Amino acid sequence: MSNSTAGIESQLWKFLGNVLTWTLLRRILSLVIFILLWTILVQFIGYLQLVPSPKTVFLAIFDLSVTFVLTNIGLSFFRVLGGFFLGVLIGFPVGVAIGYSRRLNHLIFPVFEMVRPIPPIAWIPLTVLFFINFESQAVFLTFYGAFFPIVYNTMGGISEVDIRLPRAAMSFGVGKKQMLWKVILPAAMPQVFTGMKLAMGITWILVVAAEMMSNKGGMGYYVWYNHTLMDYPHVVLGMGIIGLCGAICSIGVGVVGNYFTRWQRIF
Amino acid sequence: MADAREETLGFVFKRPTLASKVFNEKMILNTISILSIFLAWGLLVHFQVYRFVLFPSPGEVWEDGVNWVGTYVFWIDCFATTMRVMAGVLTAYIVAIPLGLMIGWKKVFSDLTFPRLEVLRPIPAPAYLPIAILLFPWQEASVAFIPFIDAFFPVLLNTIVGVKLIDRDYFRAARCLGSSPNQIFWHVVLPGALPSISSGCAIGMGIGWMGAVVGEMITGEWGLGYRIWESYILIRYPMIVDGMIAIGILGFASSVLIRYLTIRIIPWRKAITESLDESITK
Repeated sequence: MSNSTAGIESQLWKFLGNVLTWTLLRRILSLVIFILLWTILVQFIGYLQLVPSPKTVFLAIFDLSVTFVLTNIGLSFFRVLGGFFLGVLIGFPVGVAIGYSRRLNHLIFPVFEMVRPIPPIAWIPLTVLFFINFESQAVFLTFYGAFFPIVYNTMGGISEVDIRLPRAAMSFGVGKKQMLWKVILPAAMPQVFTGMKLAMGITWILVVAAEMMSNKGGMGYYVWYNHTLMDYPHVVLGMGIIGLCGAICSIGVGVVGNYFTRWQRIF
Repeated sequence: MADAREETLGFVFKRPTLASKVFNEKMILNTISILSIFLAWGLLVHFQVYRFVLFPSPGEVWEDGVNWVGTYVFWIDCFATTMRVMAGVLTAYIVAIPLGLMIGWKKVFSDLTFPRLEVLRPIPAPAYLPIAILLFPWQEASVAFIPFIDAFFPVLLNTIVGVKLIDRDYFRAARCLGSSPNQIFWHVVLPGALPSISSGCAIGMGIGWMGAVVGEMITGEWGLGYRIWESYILIRYPMIVDGMIAIGILGFASSVLIRYLTIRIIPWRKAITESLDESITK
């Protein structure tokens, strides 16, 4: 009896030894140092008085109006995901077409090359002219931001496919349609998903910027609204929430990407 | 790669004549493509399809653009925006590259610094704007802070990945031959990571332009982003398009510059296409 409990205890210690490695301790220490530095800098540097300290930010959690924040999160998510999925739905086939057919590439690619250097943010005034309600403006912007990374990476992924794979398939007598679906697309998938991850990051940047410039709700609006109220702890909290949402979206893309690229661990 | 494919298909490669260089299918299709987008724009505005009524026509854009380039305002705007982007992005390079090299190289250093950067990474740059305004008493610095944040993380991550992708055998070989950590850093870590760093720099530059425009639209006195926003408020719509074109040209020029420097500085960089550059950022 005592023997078995001793066994369990030793297993527990072993488990703890595996979990509480120096790496983990150092990582935790890193975060602790970060919070300490933040506190000290805010305390002792004169002109940073208005910057909230970690304590006030933590206390600000308790007087958060939950419904207001949740509606804002919902709005931002709707705009980001709407634009992102539109970007995937349109950008992916376009990328495949451009990557697969040289003639289409010559026909479409120069236009993209011309439009791409213009940062999506600079499109805001024109989208305001073109679309009447704010939701469609925001979704267009996020779509525009997501479109180019997806197209470029899909195209790149297809043109970088190891030439030996299509050759092997050809020698087995694979048709054109099967070649696309069974050989080229799977081989291009890792890069397609890196493009999507990039696109997800850019859509969040755009949504925050667009929401800051208008007063139609969303997390960007929440941050800017609290900035105008000089309620800085809530500004930092809003930034944290945006970061969390962005991280969740990016992890989501990673999970889906893992499913589609099961044979290799990229993400 | 295209040549390789043709070779395997058994085409005979002929030396191209001048006429075939200019009038080949590629050039013709490219010209059609670029002309058609302008044509579509002109026609949509001319026939006032849907909301295109409000859009400026190519002619108006050209006229206003020519006027604008003639004034000193244009040059100050370009200069202000370029300086902000360069200040932010170059600072990001200077901070992120050494940090990334150390994080990628030394495990202990990585554990001690990387988690806190990971916490900050998913926050998009515009969200930093209120804090930037608080942090920097000087407004220019708070605008330049946005491209800094935008460029910082792609450069950092690409540097880390670049170090991690170096073949472990190089380290072992260097250590076998008795090199000091200092020598390993200068002769293994840095040259090995440079190709990846350069693609990080290119991405950072591209995103940095976006950041500067956001910063200028929200707070700013000069600059192309500010000019776009001002012309929107003053209902001078052709100027919006001119501003967009100016930003596009400057952004394109700066990324061409980065690519040129990359080729000059890093001759051992593998010839990889632009699209693969972006694949290294995760």
